[in-house]
Amino acid sequence: MKIAGVIWLFIVAVATVSLLVRLHDGVQFQSDLFALLPQEDRDPAVQRAKEKAGALLGQRIILLVGDEDRANARSAGAELAAALAASDVASAVTYRLPPDGLRRIAEIFFPYRRGLLTAADRSRLEEGRGREIVARALASVYGPAGFADAALLQRDPFLLMATFLAALPTPLPRLAPDDGVLSVRDDTKTYVLVAAQLSGDTFALAAQDHFIQILGAAEEKLRSRLPDVEILRFGTVFYAHAGAAAAVAETSDISIVSLIGTVILVLAVFRAFRPLWLTMLAIGVGVVCAFAASLWIFGTLHVAALLLGVSLIGISLDYCLQYLSARFDATANTPWRRLSRVLPGISLGIATTLIGYVTLLVAPFPGLRQVAVFSAVGLVASFITVILWLPALDASQPFRHGRRLLVAADWLWSFWGAPRYRRPRLVLVGLAVLLAVAGASVFTVDDDVRRLQTISQDLKRQEEAIRRLTGLSGATEFLLLRAADGEAALETEEVLLVRLDEARQEGALKGYQALAQVVPSIARQRADGALVRDKLNAPFLAEYYAQLGMPADAMIEEADARFLVPAAIPDDSPLAALRQLAIADGPAGAMHLVLLSGVADRDEVKRLAQSVPGVRLIDPAGDVTRLLGDYRRRAVLLLGLSLLFMMPVVIWRYGWRGSLRVLVAPTVAVVLAPLLVALAGIPFTFFGAMALVLVLSIGFDYAVFCKETDPAQRPVTMLGVWLAMVTTLLSFGLLAFSRVFAVQAFGATLLVGTLLAFLVAPLTGDSSTVRARMIREK
Amino acid sequence: MMRALVALAILAVTVAAAPPRQVHPLGNGEVIAGRFVQERHLSGLAAPLRSEGRFVLAAGRGLIWRGEKPFATVTVLTPAGVTQSVDGKEVQRLPASRVPFLSRFYQMLSGALAGDWTAMEHDFTIDRQEGEPRWTIVLHPRSSDDPASAQLQSITVTGDTLVEGVEIHRANGDWEHLTFLDQVLSSAPLSAEDAQLLSAPPP
Repeated sequence: MKIAGVIWLFIVAVATVSLLVRLHDGVQFQSDLFALLPQEDRDPAVQRAKEKAGALLGQRIILLVGDEDRANARSAGAELAAALAASDVASAVTYRLPPDGLRRIAEIFFPYRRGLLTAADRSRLEEGRGREIVARALASVYGPAGFADAALLQRDPFLLMATFLAALPTPLPRLAPDDGVLSVRDDTKTYVLVAAQLSGDTFALAAQDHFIQILGAAEEKLRSRLPDVEILRFGTVFYAHAGAAAAVAETSDISIVSLIGTVILVLAVFRAFRPLWLTMLAIGVGVVCAFAASLWIFGTLHVAALLLGVSLIGISLDYCLQYLSARFDATANTPWRRLSRVLPGISLGIATTLIGYVTLLVAPFPGLRQVAVFSAVGLVASFITVILWLPALDASQPFRHGRRLLVAADWLWSFWGAPRYRRPRLVLVGLAVLLAVAGASVFTVDDDVRRLQTISQDLKRQEEAIRRLTGLSGATEFLLLRAADGEAALETEEVLLVRLDEARQEGALKGYQALAQVVPSIARQRADGALVRDKLNAPFLAEYYAQLGMPADAMIEEADARFLVPAAIPDDSPLAALRQLAIADGPAGAMHLVLLSGVADRDEVKRLAQSVPGVRLIDPAGDVTRLLGDYRRRAVLLLGLSLLFMMPVVIWRYGWRGSLRVLVAPTVAVVLAPLLVALAGIPFTFFGAMALVLVLSIGFDYAVFCKETDPAQRPVTMLGVWLAMVTTLLSFGLLAFSRVFAVQAFGATLLVGTLLAFLVAPLTGDSSTVRARMIREK
Repeated sequence: MMRALVALAILAVTVAAAPPRQVHPLGNGEVIAGRFVQERHLSGLAAPLRSEGRFVLAAGRGLIWRGEKPFATVTVLTPAGVTQSVDGKEVQRLPASRVPFLSRFYQMLSGALAGDWTAMEHDFTIDRQEGEPRWTIVLHPRSSDDPASAQLQSITVTGDTLVEGVEIHRANGDWEHLTFLDQVLSSAPLSAEDAQLLSAPPP
């Protein structure tokens, strides 16, 4: 034993040094909750498309600055924009539009006007309704909104360009330029737009912090001058930062409460410092080894994995406390004897618990693998510390002060055995059945991935205000389109856009953004040019010019027929963002994104996408939601599986009949916990299912402790179980108060499950000892 | 577009603020209706483009511009946007966000109706000349980096109690003259048709 203890000391020392080195070098913690999920789609092209679309949407930052005084709103907007532009945290900061912005956009398209038609004008010409275009042109030239002069009428006789330009897509349709600034008024306030792109990774904590800091400093400075200005924010970075901040704050809050609670409990029960520092030693060794091993294996750690993992190591307290409680056993007067008494129980306990954790490892979620490795390593390290070091460091003398504690701890046992508790027993069981039935009637399942994010209500409200004021619509779904080259991709988009427009009119979606809306394919430009020539100019031009009093040969055409291509849009144009939708345009093949918004009928959009060759619907959030559903079902299977894995160990030890008794506590806990949690309005999710895997392990721990004990030691064992239950609630139960939904669901299920497992654990005990006790009581 | 908006704003401004005579500011619910004759002189065209028809300007609601000759057109400008139809068939419909300057214009308009010249003076220098029987106001765009007003050279407005003529000169030599006739100022409710045109849902 001593040699083993020394070897273990060496291993712990190595782990400690390696952890210190890693921490000194700096460890990058992840906070992107999607990193917790499996990379299910192994198609690298699809993966790249998702990343690209994620970056396009995720790095977008929209601020609306509002004030009742238009001038204040504008000066505030200008100041914020200037602060962002001067920093290195944002690029493409847009506030004041260039005064000649519209003219610059017109200049991009004007040379190619002969082939540029709106969809409506195209169908007018195709259907022989060219006269409507003539009438519109005449109404423009004569009407109060006339802008045409002779030079324009020579070059674009029917003013088709103006119609084309007015139909170009705008992402924020309700905003209108007001003296060079995109603005919108509501009942009381004028809002101005400040838009930007985040530089750096939206989910890297350092980049988030830096951005939020710069913006916060700019806002503070602004508020000293204009205290009442309203700043509305929209952008993934705000949600990500709020979520990460909440997770980090909770980690420390929950750990501190958990730690303080545990310290008070241990001091109060043992009335000595030695059990406290022994406990801390066991847990500390567990955390250090877990941390070192996880960083060594994964290179990084997710914030959520850290949060769950630290809490999971708390279960090693069960074994530590079983050993320490044995000191109340007056008949075991040396540490090694005490260890030998509890060893069978805690060995079986850790065996079943490890089986539960290893089953976690089967789930292909990277984050849960981190949790599984972190907690399994920590658990084993703590366990080894308990059996190798604690007896060596412990005092020999049994505690003498525990009489009343032991009686109190033993009460639960007599509750299940003594005849005088028959009625309360029946009431309790009846109540449990009633609550379970009520829970079953409100039991719901919810796999929505958006539940994963902590949605800050304040940010949600700001986002809704921005959507209402600007008309911004957005969805995580998009279409991925693959074709032989850029031209073929644009032609495919044109086929697709017709169908998308039909779907839009039927209400299946609200809108879409595609490169072909701005840059038609060359084939289309050629065809549209021919339409204009044959169906508009040929039949109507001479008559039209005559009516205006222009010479019949006044028309001036571009000398050579050139075609608009994406590259013709300069980088500094506001339309250049659409060019980014072409994520690959090389000779090896083109890949374009078509962004969708307001998708109401996903199946219809999917059907429509599949009807165009080379197009598929990508729905990252929906994919993950479906995946969470799959894994929730899989987790329930895992639960059964880990039960199966545990059974051989249990049967080997207790035989068939004994095994059935041991099964009572874990089964009651696993079956009732989700139903009771449903009563609290928390739907059953993958996370609840994973918590049940742990409830199963805990249930087995308590049942095995009760089963292993002989009548003489029963109060001591029960004290250990009590302490284990309370510490488990301190570490897991507190997770139920997390604002991270997944963590909350996990914690609530564990809270209820642990309590249930504890309450029914004595039923596992040998019926003969229960009977013996009843006889003695009589 | 700018030209039309400016013309419209001037109507309102001069109604509200044309100095010497007993001008009646256009109050909420009040309507000016009348006839117009518009002559647009575009260089390079053999003859001016002449059109005439009727108009309705409703305070706070918008403008209906009904061309009758040479053909029937209806243009409706409201805070929500612009629609245009020819022979009863809609040919153009643009939301306000597609018509730059529209929001600025409405600020000018509402300011003008309330007798507030500051919005107007932001973009124009204003010269007033008293005459008998008519007054004249000449507007020159301030040197502005706004390309739309840079195209304007001057706007001359003449009127009595109401505006009677507007002449707009553009930098490229084009000019147009608007004459307003048979104007009636009233606070009677709009006709059902006009009310419907001005309350059309935003495009």
